[in-house]
Amino acid sequence: LFWSGSTVAATMAEWSGLHSSTSRHTMDKSITLPPDEIFRNLENAKRFAIDIGGSLTKLAYYSTVQHKVAKVRSFDHATKATSDELYEISVQEEVTARLHFIKFENAYIETCLDFVRDHLVNTDTKVIKATGGGAHKFKELIERKLGLRVDKEDEMTCLIKGCNFVLRNIPHEAFVYAKHADSEFRFQTTQPDIFPYLLVNIGSGVSIVKVESEDKFERIGGSSIGGGTFWGLGALLTKTKRFDELLQLASKGQHTSVDMLVKDIYGGSYGSLGLTGDLIASSFGKSATADKGFPKEDMAKSLLHMISNDIGQLACLYAKLHNLSRVYFGGFFIRGHPVTMHTITYSINFFTKGEVQALFLRHEGYLGAIGAFLKGAEEDNPNQYSWGENYAGSSGLMSVSPDMNPMQRARSGTFDMLEMDRLERKLVNLPLLQDASSYIPDTVDLAEDALAREYWLYCFEEALDGVVKRALASQPDMPEAAERAEKFRQKYRHKLQTLRHQPFAYGSLTVRSLLDTREHCLNEFNFPDPYSKIKQRENDMALKYYQKVVKSLEELSWEERQFALIRGVLAGNVFDWGAKAVSDVLESEPEFGFEQAKRKLEERPWLVDSYDQWFERLKGPPHKCALFFVDNSGLDIILGVMPFVRELLSRGTEVVLASNSAPALNDVTNGELQILTESIAAMDPVIQAGLREDRLTLVQSGSSSPCLDLSRLDKVLAMVVRERKTDLVIIEGMGRAIHTNYYAMLSCESLKMAVIKNSWLADRLGGKLFSVVFKYEVPAAGHDSEALTPP
Amino acid sequence: WTTAGGVTSRHTMDKSITLPPDEIFRNLENAKRFAIDIGGSLTKLAYYSTVQHKVAKVRSFDHATKEATSDELYEISVQEEVTARLHFIKFENAYIETCLDFVRDHLVNTDTKVIKATGGGAHKFKELIERKLGLRVDKEDEMTCLIKGCNFVLRNIPHEAFVYAKHADSEFRFQTTQPDIFPYLLVNIGSGVSIVKVESEDKFERIGGSSIGGGTFWGLGALLTKTKRFDELLQLASKGQHTSVDMLVKDIYGGSYGSLGLTGDLIASSFGKSATADKEFRCYMAKSLLHMISNDIGQLACLYAKLHNLSRVYFGGFFIRGHPVTMHTITYSINFFTKGEVQALFLRHEGYLGAIGAFLKGAEEDNPNQYSWGENYAGSSGLMSVSPDMNPMQRARSGTFDMLEMDRLERKLVNLPLLQDASSYIPDTVDLAEDALAREYWLYCFEEALDGVVKRALASQPDMPEAAERAEKFRQKYRHKLQTLRHQPL
Repeated sequence: LFWSGSTVAATMAEWSGLHSSTSRHTMDKSITLPPDEIFRNLENAKRFAIDIGGSLTKLAYYSTVQHKVAKVRSFDHATKATSDELYEISVQEEVTARLHFIKFENAYIETCLDFVRDHLVNTDTKVIKATGGGAHKFKELIERKLGLRVDKEDEMTCLIKGCNFVLRNIPHEAFVYAKHADSEFRFQTTQPDIFPYLLVNIGSGVSIVKVESEDKFERIGGSSIGGGTFWGLGALLTKTKRFDELLQLASKGQHTSVDMLVKDIYGGSYGSLGLTGDLIASSFGKSATADKGFPKEDMAKSLLHMISNDIGQLACLYAKLHNLSRVYFGGFFIRGHPVTMHTITYSINFFTKGEVQALFLRHEGYLGAIGAFLKGAEEDNPNQYSWGENYAGSSGLMSVSPDMNPMQRARSGTFDMLEMDRLERKLVNLPLLQDASSYIPDTVDLAEDALAREYWLYCFEEALDGVVKRALASQPDMPEAAERAEKFRQKYRHKLQTLRHQPFAYGSLTVRSLLDTREHCLNEFNFPDPYSKIKQRENDMALKYYQKVVKSLEELSWEERQFALIRGVLAGNVFDWGAKAVSDVLESEPEFGFEQAKRKLEERPWLVDSYDQWFERLKGPPHKCALFFVDNSGLDIILGVMPFVRELLSRGTEVVLASNSAPALNDVTNGELQILTESIAAMDPVIQAGLREDRLTLVQSGSSSPCLDLSRLDKVLAMVVRERKTDLVIIEGMGRAIHTNYYAMLSCESLKMAVIKNSWLADRLGGKLFSVVFKYEVPAAGHDSEALTPP
Repeated sequence: WTTAGGVTSRHTMDKSITLPPDEIFRNLENAKRFAIDIGGSLTKLAYYSTVQHKVAKVRSFDHATKEATSDELYEISVQEEVTARLHFIKFENAYIETCLDFVRDHLVNTDTKVIKATGGGAHKFKELIERKLGLRVDKEDEMTCLIKGCNFVLRNIPHEAFVYAKHADSEFRFQTTQPDIFPYLLVNIGSGVSIVKVESEDKFERIGGSSIGGGTFWGLGALLTKTKRFDELLQLASKGQHTSVDMLVKDIYGGSYGSLGLTGDLIASSFGKSATADKEFRCYMAKSLLHMISNDIGQLACLYAKLHNLSRVYFGGFFIRGHPVTMHTITYSINFFTKGEVQALFLRHEGYLGAIGAFLKGAEEDNPNQYSWGENYAGSSGLMSVSPDMNPMQRARSGTFDMLEMDRLERKLVNLPLLQDASSYIPDTVDLAEDALAREYWLYCFEEALDGVVKRALASQPDMPEAAERAEKFRQKYRHKLQTLRHQPL
């Protein structure tokens, strides 16, 4: 968020202390909150929850967001005449549910409550759920300010509920911290089963909780040596009363002058016991006999080590006793502080020799608020839905590393936001994943690959002007579109800048997350489908050629046709507005045709070429059912994919076409595909029979991304896949088959087809622009001999 | 001198102290096999010696040469007998030079070539020992010695282990010796903490440890309170109120946290109040620190005991060594964390374990483990309470020289095989330590009887002119023991 005026910025720096209690009197409480930045959508807000900790307050509310969506509809054929377009596009208002979470320092609580009261329109809300140690302290204030009854919820229950929620709904929620690695944060993929786990919450003290299921948890242990001990003892030893100043001192200190090491006692290591010389034998062991005082930094460091080691050791012992391998750490001692994450991780590694990994959570600070909110919203059944993090409205993970630039640190200390959209449909794993728990959708983790990150951030920044132009062009009749487009540009550019400094802000940084963030930002500013008109034009044009393409394919021999069909899919895939190389061509040569595209294609052998194996397989028995994740509209879907589908149907293979639920770039959406398929069926008896006999099915993927996460797919899709006994998965396009899923292992045969339309990526893969990837895979254990050697 | 850490007060010490030869370092003239254990503050010297003393023997008169002068059935003769005895002496590191000089001056037997050494200080004093005694220092692994010593006392000294209960009628409740002492967990709290699982005489493993130990209490305590002496810190701690420094559950939640079973008085965060407190009190901080460290060690000990399925946990090391405050907090912590499933056990001779072990390592050819050994009450100091309420004279003594002597018994002693349950067998009918009235009576009774005993002893040796002097020494020694027992029944 941006506050104008350097005076504000200067004041913010003073506020950056996580613990305001000591500096509260210096704060300017008359701050004016910018309404469209934080506490968004308050006018429709209902169901409030608040979690007041020792220093930070987290406010949660449920609201509905009205935004524009592009819908397509076939022209009513009865009244048709005015247009030769196949379908009409209309922009409609849609209301979706969104959860808002805002975190701010306790010092602002009064200002914030006033703000909420002033902007609250909906007056049905009577109750606010409250949790956290501070809940009873501020109860009276909240009731007076908001006029809501404070309903207290159990802190631990809320914490666990919130933890379950984020682990289930936010991919890349959990991460491993590695100080010296190329990327500090290594995100974990969502596990299909999140239970059981151990949660170690380090607040003033430590609570160690074993969580076995949604509703079953037990506090199996705890310790009084926690964040409060670091803060309290640290304050006594160093006369520094601020928590993060203490951490900063600690990050600079040398503990060896204060601690007694094994080598200080034995002159070296204690070999027979396996104790190295550098091991701390006694924390503060040297300070009783020292003649002079110690630097504050050294004492703070020693204290930090002492406490982190102790907590790590206790966590390991409890994990071992209860046979748990996943241990999440949270609480204000951890909250985004690299120093504490580092020492805790070090301690866990030391005590378990790598058997247990210390895991941290991106949204750890919100767990209590989320849980309290969920308690209050139980009648709405929020756990029934899938939720997705809205990248446009969420601040992302802030590093409070002392090396960070102070402006960013100051911001991170004031207001932090998380917004989650309720997804229309419940999302699940593709049942055909070989190992759902080890599946990673993304091919390259940009957070770990600095060169790739550099390139893609640059690439997306370069493309931004074009996207803005396109968005603007999609709404020619709206005068305020220019203003919104500009806001979009600023927001997305700011996100890109944030990601440049903090690649881990939204979990793993990938091409997919960059694309998704852009879509979220476009939607945020009511550009639901900038490509709708282009898609419409291309669809209309391509349909005209459909019969001609089918006819020329029919004339080929069986062998020739099989190859031509693949070339057709690939040629169609050259058309992609998402790839800059292509959009340049398309902008300059509007008539760039299907045949030209074929000529652009690389000749065999392709960069990745298992066509021979595929061809051999085709000589064998037909597949039972093929699941096809389609890519672009226009030539791609109509002239490339549909003829291929037609061939599959003719072979006796059922086909399930999976397309995006909502727009992304020029990808064909489920709504568009419905209309296109119907009009193709009108021309083509094979497609028509397929639809009629229910052998051709259209499903939505549940996604609105140009990429594909096979672990978050529409529940209906998964059901259909299972019912039809799908034995072939086809994934098409750069976004779905290369940026994601290139290494995905499926339990059935799979075909990954794409044309590389990005020179950098081509270079990376050892190819050149318009190189072809044709990857036919058969699961290792299973029927490969059968598939490769036809009977 | 009573400080466990003499380091800081060394300069104030009178090193020209004259050692009374018949009180400590006894029987040095026949000493062989030396061992020394030098810790951070205390040195423990061990040696094996033979003691010549008189025994009364009876013998039937030789019937062949039987003379008519006597119609007695058998004759009584007093003979000199030589028995083996182990000597252990504990003193502060500050005295080490004086003591080594004394030993050198009184050493007669020159067959001894080697002294076994262990403890963290062994390498620091190596050169001094070799120079002073002319013996080669042979270093032994500290942990091995500790465990060997522990096994030895658990096997040979009845009532070695005890449970500490601050508010009970008797502070110390002794455990009967178990026929099988294994397996057990030894938690040694020195500067840091070592947690060792002992499965048999020769099999042990350091299964864990912690850097939060006695050194942490001492070091952090010194920084916080500006008190540099270990037992002054303990004294401060025993007076303080931790609740003004620690954040309790009720400070956060206004009361208990019922659904989690946390009472309001439970410490939620050690030192949790001190970041925002305006005032600092030294004793409060010492108390809070002691609680923090004891609780932590207790919790770790319990977790390791549970993980390894061990129910006997012995605590030792200088943090424990006779300090009721630390024994109390450790016991409290263990009770809290195991809800009584595990008992915190302490050892009477815990300070000697390393020295005993090192000695045993050096004496392996004599097979000391083959014999039974008995504590010699006359030569051993006994357990000293260093409770702050104790009279200062006694405290001062306890800090300087402490002794343990063990006699080798002629024959190996075992259980009567007919005992119904050897592990629960208690020979004594009344425990005078627990029964104050009975104790009062019997101590009085034995003191009353002392004159008669002295008279009787004297009468038994009418021909010996120095008997009167010895009888007087006996009277003094026994009366002193009785007086000690009156103050410290344990």
